[in-house]
Amino acid sequence: MGATNLRIAAVVLGTIGLYTVVCNAIPQVESEVPREMNLSGDVTPEQLVSAGEELFNGAGGCTACHGLGTRAPNLLTDEHGQGTIGARCGTRKPGMTCKDYLHESLVKPTAYVVPGYQPIMPDMSRTLSPAQIWALVAFLESQGGEVTVSAADVKAAAPAPAQGVAPAAPARSATTDPVALLRENTCLTCHHLGSEGTTIAPPLDHIGATRTADYIRRSILDPNADTAKGYEKVAGIMPKDFGERLSAAQLEALVRYLASRK
Amino acid sequence: MKSRLSHPFVQALLILAVAYLLFRFGIAYIPPLLGVKSAPVPHTVLLQYMLTVAVGVLLYVSATEDRWRAFKAPIQRVLVDPSQRLYRLALLVTVPLLAGFITYRQVRPSVEAPPNLRSIHPAPPSTITFRGKTMTLAGLENPLRKEGNLRDHVEEGRRVYYQNCVACHGDQLNGKGHFAHGFNPPPADFTDNGTIPQLTESFVFWRIAKGGRGLPKEGTPWNSAMPAWEDFLTEREIWAVIIFLYDQTGWTPRTWDTAEGGAR
Amino acid sequence: MTPESRVSFPRLAGFGGLVLLMLGAVAVPAFAQQAAAARDYGNFPLVGGRGAIWIAAEVHLMFAAFVLGVPLFAVTVEAIGIFGTDKRYDKLAKEFTRLLLIAYSATAIWGAILVFFLSTLYPKFWTYMSTIFHVSMWVYVGLFFFESFTLYLYYYGWESLKDGIRKKIHLGLGVLLNLWGTAVMFIADSWLSYMMSPPPQVSTDTAPETIRLWSAMANATWMPINIHRLIANVVFGGSIVGAYAAYRFLAARTDEERAHYDWMGYVGNFIAISSLLILPFAGYWLGREIYQYDQGMGITMMGGFMSWLWIIQAFLIGVLFLAGNYYLWVGMARIPGAERFTPYTRWILGVLVLGVLVWSTPHTMIASRAEQAAMGGSHHPLLGFLGVMSAKNTAVNLMILSTFLSYLLYRRANKRPSVSWARAATRVQAALFAISAAIVIFFGVYGYFVTAIVRIGFSVYQVLSVIVTIVTVLVLDVLMLRGAESRGAIRWGQMPARSQYALLVLAVTFTWLMGLMGFARSGIRQHWHVWNVMRDTSPWAATPALGYASKMISVCVLIFLALIAIVFWLGGLVEKSTYAPPAAAGAERAPERELAIAGGAD
Repeated sequence: MGATNLRIAAVVLGTIGLYTVVCNAIPQVESEVPREMNLSGDVTPEQLVSAGEELFNGAGGCTACHGLGTRAPNLLTDEHGQGTIGARCGTRKPGMTCKDYLHESLVKPTAYVVPGYQPIMPDMSRTLSPAQIWALVAFLESQGGEVTVSAADVKAAAPAPAQGVAPAAPARSATTDPVALLRENTCLTCHHLGSEGTTIAPPLDHIGATRTADYIRRSILDPNADTAKGYEKVAGIMPKDFGERLSAAQLEALVRYLASRK
Repeated sequence: MKSRLSHPFVQALLILAVAYLLFRFGIAYIPPLLGVKSAPVPHTVLLQYMLTVAVGVLLYVSATEDRWRAFKAPIQRVLVDPSQRLYRLALLVTVPLLAGFITYRQVRPSVEAPPNLRSIHPAPPSTITFRGKTMTLAGLENPLRKEGNLRDHVEEGRRVYYQNCVACHGDQLNGKGHFAHGFNPPPADFTDNGTIPQLTESFVFWRIAKGGRGLPKEGTPWNSAMPAWEDFLTEREIWAVIIFLYDQTGWTPRTWDTAEGGAR
Repeated sequence: MTPESRVSFPRLAGFGGLVLLMLGAVAVPAFAQQAAAARDYGNFPLVGGRGAIWIAAEVHLMFAAFVLGVPLFAVTVEAIGIFGTDKRYDKLAKEFTRLLLIAYSATAIWGAILVFFLSTLYPKFWTYMSTIFHVSMWVYVGLFFFESFTLYLYYYGWESLKDGIRKKIHLGLGVLLNLWGTAVMFIADSWLSYMMSPPPQVSTDTAPETIRLWSAMANATWMPINIHRLIANVVFGGSIVGAYAAYRFLAARTDEERAHYDWMGYVGNFIAISSLLILPFAGYWLGREIYQYDQGMGITMMGGFMSWLWIIQAFLIGVLFLAGNYYLWVGMARIPGAERFTPYTRWILGVLVLGVLVWSTPHTMIASRAEQAAMGGSHHPLLGFLGVMSAKNTAVNLMILSTFLSYLLYRRANKRPSVSWARAATRVQAALFAISAAIVIFFGVYGYFVTAIVRIGFSVYQVLSVIVTIVTVLVLDVLMLRGAESRGAIRWGQMPARSQYALLVLAVTFTWLMGLMGFARSGIRQHWHVWNVMRDTSPWAATPALGYASKMISVCVLIFLALIAIVFWLGGLVEKSTYAPPAAAGAERAPERELAIAGGAD
């Protein structure tokens, strides 16, 4: 009798348990309450901070990397004894205020990469509006620092109402000086040339000795077509939009310059 | 040999093995031989399939008393028979090892992004704001279909497409533009009948106007590279490019269900 | 398990909580008057306001479904007992009703808990609803009163209204009981369907006093929900009775008891599965009304954040189909002559497993980045075809056909038809099955080549062909087996224990599925109390993910099952067993013959 009851209880609990486990094993999607964020008007810093917090944990997708401690620096918790992001952002880059540094990190993530990490962060201006980016900056500042973002920043960032067909690509400089192009396009954030750059990606000092011009051109336009030996770990990091950013003249100037570096 | 094969225990193992091979390799590699596109089955779906088959096998072997007894016999023998001591010991070693290995695989930290459930066609909002103008999506029709010459709209849409969209969505509208390989998820393939023919034109308008960042959370907006075209195109241009998409691919848009009741 | 020791604590806690609540209900209005404007929502310790309402409403609903479903077939079974010759049916009907009596007060208690929770935790919403619906609430209470007394009369009058015309009056009481119960459910449904689909002319600014009661009640989803629930109640009641019989079977000490509860479990399971076969059609109607009412709500339900819920639902219904068929197959061991059909069961099993595989294939797959890259997105290039409605409708229709075939084999197992045209009729039946399967598959495949609007219409043809086949085959079968000679009596009670566990799994799965579908129906309102009319501004406005919901559902199911175990235990105290030895002649054939008539409705 007791054994039968135990078996019945096991069957019932097992069935219920199985369903619960299956439901919890799939990725969890919840339906959030849409919140009207009016960030363009007379927004207070507090509103910006709370909007930024929501973005940080939600649509911004920031937590996919920040906070795991393996892919990107911790932002909301201490990082190597330097404190949280609001406390350390003012001292990251000399001469740059906390606000400017955070904003640059979001819209130009490869401009400064914290030592020990790889430049894998996407340009957030691609997925977030300027006002949302300022909200994120305000939220990050609030984490251990003082919020200096104001409604004026948001207003200045609001896009002028577009008229007709606007160019999809950002305005670009017309220079064909290859070294300037290398700096402008942040190539030297990863590559090494002369006395500049880092060694995250293959050095360009003698690239022409082993690679043809065609190969270099293809690697700029389609960085994933080939991966240099020993750099498989960083494959896919190089932006794939240089075909969009560079004009034909600029591209050719760059290719010729690099191919001549024997 | 014949009698071996008719033993329920052997049959059960055989069915499981064949099912595994079929799901793991068969689905991925047999259809391409016949010219049908396929790909490996994701491991979550593989697990789900194998569980289903395992339950089916269990029901099969226990459906009649004789079969159930024959099925249990080898298991019982291994568990109690003194002559099977070696097998028993082997089981006692391998089962915990296997459990440990699976646990290790699951808890081992990995730098890979967690898998996410991306809803390709998430529910659209009931209204959107397009440059300060509020538009109700439910029941919204393409205004250009009712005015002017359709050919003109197609030509206008073609111009818009080749100035803005072709780089990603390709000149064959198949989502294989020059930049396409850099994106995961890839740009939408309009020639696939799972895309625009499943959608109303108002849905397509919403997707073009608001882009990747306008997706709700279940659409994982952080994954999509689609720009919000409301910043660059006018309302008429978006409607024109929608007409072009349907005209060029030969699909017809999904229509609103106009039976009684009606949309609010 | 000794029920008294296991469940006494929750029971005590439940009563204690109720007393506290009553005190609270007295105390609340006093200060509520000043604080009404300030306090739109109350809070509840541990689970929060929404969690408390969730549990109260779900457990109340489960009990309500039980006490509405069981009378429906208690009366049917009693009628079979009157118009047939078998005395066992009358006893069975009475045993059902005794379980009902205790479950009835549990329903009322949980109803009271729900009302108190609503008025203390969601006062603003409660005021809004009672402003519109107060008249129907009064009627509801009145009907509930009549229902209770009809039930008392029905049960306690059983013995005194036993003979001749008085028995017919007793049956009439049973019918009346069901009428009251159905009316009560319809009224309650009007409240919750109003929350889902308020009439189009009602907007955020409409003052609740100006909404006419009837226009609020007769909203778009009211009738579909009524019908869907009516059928689902029968399914649910049948499966719980099956679980009760399984429990008594496993605990039985004598062969007679075992035979009786084996038979009772069979009847309960038969009622559950045969009503289950028509439930998808009612569900389909409800879904269609939701789509027509508001496309956005429909897309949220099927394609939005809830899309995975339907994969889980497919998984659960797959369990139901497999367990239900399995019970029939194992049961064939106790029927002489069934051996000749056993080779077929493996092919039916094959079709069912394939059906489950197809039906539970997700459209959007969970895949790592590398797997997504290989597939070219989160849709599999080949299996993606199985993820859409065309494939799923085909799979579920074939599963319904297979289940019906299982039942047909079971039914015919110990019969040898004596009519001359039996062979021809069997061929016609086989042809009907083949044609119906061909129609289902044809429209399933053709659905990939047409537009969405046309495709939705196809499912109607599929369903129609299946229904026509089931009805025609069953009518043929009943005619053909009239006066058939027996190959031997069914050996009731000679059933392996694992079949009874299948019945238990069925009941648990039904209960859990009910919780899941309740979450789906309620969750598609998202952050609205009343869709697009009254916004949820509480801290609990966001609709939770499936993981959290599944935990809440499991808690509700466990509370319900624990309480229903007490009900069963109390029922056992009243009368040890209602087993009555069957009349020796004719009894062994009776159940199938009568139940074929009962099954003719589908």
